[in-house]
Order: sequence, then C-alpha cells, then structure tokens
Amino acid sequence: MPLSVSYTPNYYSLEDILATQERIPCRVAQTIPKMGHLNSSSVDVDLQEGTVMEFPLWLVNEVCVSRVPILNPDLPKIYKESYREILKADACAVDLHRLNLHFYELGSYVKKFDKKNDVHQSIIDTFRSRFRQLINLADNSISDPMVQQRLDTLERKLFNDAYKARVKLNIWLEHSATVIEAANMVVNHKKRKRINLEELL
Amino acid sequence: MFGEKGYNLIKELARSEDNLPPYNSDLVNEISHEITKQFEENRDDAQNSTIDGSESLLLNTIRIRNGASKRNIRCLMAYHYNRLKCLRTMRWEFGSILPPDIKANLSSDELEWFSNYSKTLVNYMKSIGEDGINLAVDLKPPKALYIEVQCLVDYGRFELSDGTMLLLKKNSRHYLPRSECEELIRQGVFKHIS
Amino acid sequence: MDPDELEFLGEKSKIMIIPTFNKENIHLISGDLGPFRASLPSQVPLWVATLLKKQKRCKIIPPDWMNVEYLEALKEQEKQTSGFTRMPSDHYMVEAKLLLDCAPDDIPNADEVKVIIKDIWDMRMSKIRSSVTKLVKNSDFYAAVDNLTIMEINSVRPILPHALDNLFRMKHIEQPKPSQNSNVSSFLMSKRASTSFQLSNNEDY
Repeated sequence: MPLSVSYTPNYYSLEDILATQERIPCRVAQTIPKMGHLNSSSVDVDLQEGTVMEFPLWLVNEVCVSRVPILNPDLPKIYKESYREILKADACAVDLHRLNLHFYELGSYVKKFDKKNDVHQSIIDTFRSRFRQLINLADNSISDPMVQQRLDTLERKLFNDAYKARVKLNIWLEHSATVIEAANMVVNHKKRKRINLEELL
Repeated sequence: MFGEKGYNLIKELARSEDNLPPYNSDLVNEISHEITKQFEENRDDAQNSTIDGSESLLLNTIRIRNGASKRNIRCLMAYHYNRLKCLRTMRWEFGSILPPDIKANLSSDELEWFSNYSKTLVNYMKSIGEDGINLAVDLKPPKALYIEVQCLVDYGRFELSDGTMLLLKKNSRHYLPRSECEELIRQGVFKHIS
Repeated sequence: MDPDELEFLGEKSKIMIIPTFNKENIHLISGDLGPFRASLPSQVPLWVATLLKKQKRCKIIPPDWMNVEYLEALKEQEKQTSGFTRMPSDHYMVEAKLLLDCAPDDIPNADEVKVIIKDIWDMRMSKIRSSVTKLVKNSDFYAAVDNLTIMEINSVRPILPHALDNLFRMKHIEQPKPSQNSNVSSFLMSKRASTSFQLSNNEDY
C-alpha cells in the first residue's frame, strides 16, 4: 500500500502552481518601464505608477518581498469582510468551489495582504465548521452530490482519500475474503479505451 | 500576462489525473524561448542602466522579467517531474510493457527513462536475497497458495514456472498458483474469483 | 493501512483448537507449532486455526469472551460510558470476523454473537466520529484514544491526520505582518533568537 501523505505544497506541486496563478488586484507603486503591454487597456510603453490592475499571485509574491515594493496588493474580494461574514454565518452552505477552487491555499497566501489580520482566523474557522460535513460525506451518511460539488480542491482531496478508505473498510466488513484487483491505472486505461471506442461508433 | 503558457502546460497535465497527455513539445519549446528572451532582455537592460537617475526604474522591469523567468522554469520543471512520477507509477501498475496508446504520448527521452528505470528495478529485485524477490506481487497478505481466476482477454499461450503450457482464452477459468497469476490480475488479463 | 493488512496483524493472536490429527512439532520462523495430539487442546495462531478449520482438521474453541452473556454485558457497559470500554482483545473485530466466518458451528449462538459484536462496533464507530468532529471543531489540543483497537483507530485515517496537518499548515504559514518596519525587526529578532540558542549551547560545553 502506498504511503498516504497529506497535501503539502512544494516547488513541483501542480496544485500550488495552479493556486499561485490566481489573480490579485494591485496598485502599481512605481512606474515599470517597457511593461505597458501587461495592461491591455493602455497603449503606453511603460506601466505607469498608480495603475490599478490584476496580477497573478506568483508575480505579486516575487516583487512584494523587498523593502520598496513595486506593487501594492489588495485582498481579492472573496476574502473581504462581506464574504467573511457570509462564511461566519453558515460556512457549510457556501459553495467554496465556486468562490475559488483553491480557497484555503489562496487564502493562506493572501492573508498577509490583510492589514487587520482577520483573514487568517476566517479561513481556519471555515475549515473547522465544514469538517463535520466533510466527514459525514466520506462516511456516506449524507450522499447529496450537490454537497460534494461545493468542496474546494483541498477538501475534495481529503474527501476522496477518506472515501476510498471507508469503502475498503466496508468491503472488509462485508466480505469474507478480499480479491486481488487489477491496478488502478489499468482499470482506468480500459475505461478510457471503451469510451473512445464508443465515440468512434 | 507573463506565465500564461506555463500555466496552460500545467493545467493540461493536472486535468488528466492518472493518464499522461501527449508530450507537448511545442509549448515546452515556446516556454524555453521565452525564458531565453527574458534573460537576454534583462542582460541588455542591466548593461544600459545606471545606478542613479530615471534608469534605476529599469530595475523594476528587470525584477518583473526575472520573476517571470523563474515562474516559467518552475512550470517546466514541474511538468517534466510530474510526468516522470506518473511514468514510474505506470511501471508498477502496467508492468514493463506499456500499452501502445500510452507509449505514443511519451517523448523519446521519457521512453528511454522508462526502459532504464525498468532495467534498474529488475536488477534490484534480482539482487535481493539469493534468488531475488519480485516486489510487484503479494501486495496484499496472501491467504491461499492457489486461487481461481477467469481470463478476460484472448491472451494466448502462457508458460508456468514448472514448464506447463496453458492456452488462455477469453472467459476460460483456471485454478493457478497465486504467485504465477497475480501480475496478470494486476494487468487486467485475469479476474480473481473468490 | 488497509484492513487486509490489519487483519494480517490480528491473525497472529493465539487461539485454542482441538485437532483431529497427530503430528510432531512444526518449526516455523515465527515459532514452533504443536505437537498435535488428536482431541487434545492446543494453542495456535489464528491464521493456522482458520487454515486447519477450512481443511476440517480441527475444532475451534472460541475465546472466553465470544459468548452472548459476556458480550451483552460489554454492550451495556459501552452504552453507559461516554468514553470507550476496554475490549477483551486488541483484535476483537478480526477474531470475530474470521472465526464466525469459518467456524460458526463451533461457536454457540453464532448468529446472535455476530449481531451483538456488530452493535458494539457500530456504537464505538459513531462515538469515534462524534469525538473526531468535536476535536476539529473546538480545536482541542488532544484526544484520548485509550481502549481503541487498531482497526478502529484506522477508521479515521487518513481524514483526521490529514485534516489536522492542513489546519496546522494554515495556522503556521507566515503570519501577516502589520507594517513594513515590524517586518524588518521581526526578521532581526528571529536571527537573534538563533544566535542566543547557539550561545547557550556553547555555555553547556
């Protein structure tokens, strides 16, 4: 059995690359020569100081670390107070998937742009309140596909792993002997082949 | 915006969970060229800028480009690394021979890496103990020496380690030593009947 | 871990059997078995017991706890406490499942026994689930897992450890810094902390 490790972002992790691609609203703090082309609504050669536009998070992280920042980032609106209030009221009812695919990961990155430091607690509380729903979902005690649709990427991974383990346990409890099965990749490969074949017909 | 190409490359890979999309050499080349271009532009700007005066603003430009290059490099590294990781799992799941449609999606370097990995693995398994151990079997604690299996495909002739020849036809049933057929079950040739 | 692997661990526990054959000692890596004398009770690992039973070469003597009276009392006890009762065996589920599966004829009231064990298991599983959700929700610092068996603990894997890992990560990724100035000073402070650690090390020598 492969070791089951919890998700921790690293240099090579696809999830982290996708999460850091999210766009952050910023104010340009110093004119950046020759970079006017980044702003599609202007024809200037240079990107002028004071321009307000969105930059991907990885770029913001890259140029905000120095003492003289080039960009002044703002919080994306889903982490602002009005959204935090909604999450506080009933986190389970919120469609995190639609809010942002990488709600927790992105939140952990952008919380440093929040001067009042409220985002930090907000995402932790959101995760805590939604955990019960997650564990019930994995136990199959609620089987509403809509709930599953509303999970963000991190929750979805937790759910999938937990669900697989639960199915294994149930099979063990119900059957007298476990059978050797075809490898996952082999099964999926066969399925894809069948689908491709059906499309051809 | 910078980094869009790298993002597309990663998105393409992330979308296909345990399947490998065709190696996207066009996009990989475009990103490499972008990195070279950014490096050259930065080099030229760095040579032309002076410490004082308005040209010091060029430092901003250089930092932005440098960030973009680093991002591009990260995307390329992650693309290749994760493909190899998937390929390594495939060696354990499919065995040493990959289905032709999967093979068609690999770059020539990846094919070479796969056959080298396969060789290394076989040599390692041979080197354990006196007779070697096949690490790809007995993934679950075995219960019995013999198991009943059903053949799912027309596989053809199959030789057991004691020299017996079997003709494996679709839907034929066999009672075989577990150690002899576990790999074929994993590869989807047999189905284990309990 | 997979339940199959836990079953494998549980199969090492000892069970009494009454063999129907004679045989001298069998020497195995894990220890000697036998000698076996027909109709004289002998102690063997669970996996040997099930194997012999399947070959109809022994009768199994069920463990002391595998009877309706004892289990009813245990069930009542489990119902009364909010915590977990100590189970008669660390692998009670594995033993019950394997023995009830291969030797229902050797266990008195096998069907009833099966139902009570299932009840106890279900009760404990729902307790585990509610305490796990409470643990995460209230951010308690620890959870007592006394008297839980390995199969039960495994039922909250991987979700509980992974959820706690992620919570830990959310709590510890760089805390927001109020202003640029304090940013610099906190950097200096962390540096100072590491030097003072080295100093105190030097003093020890």
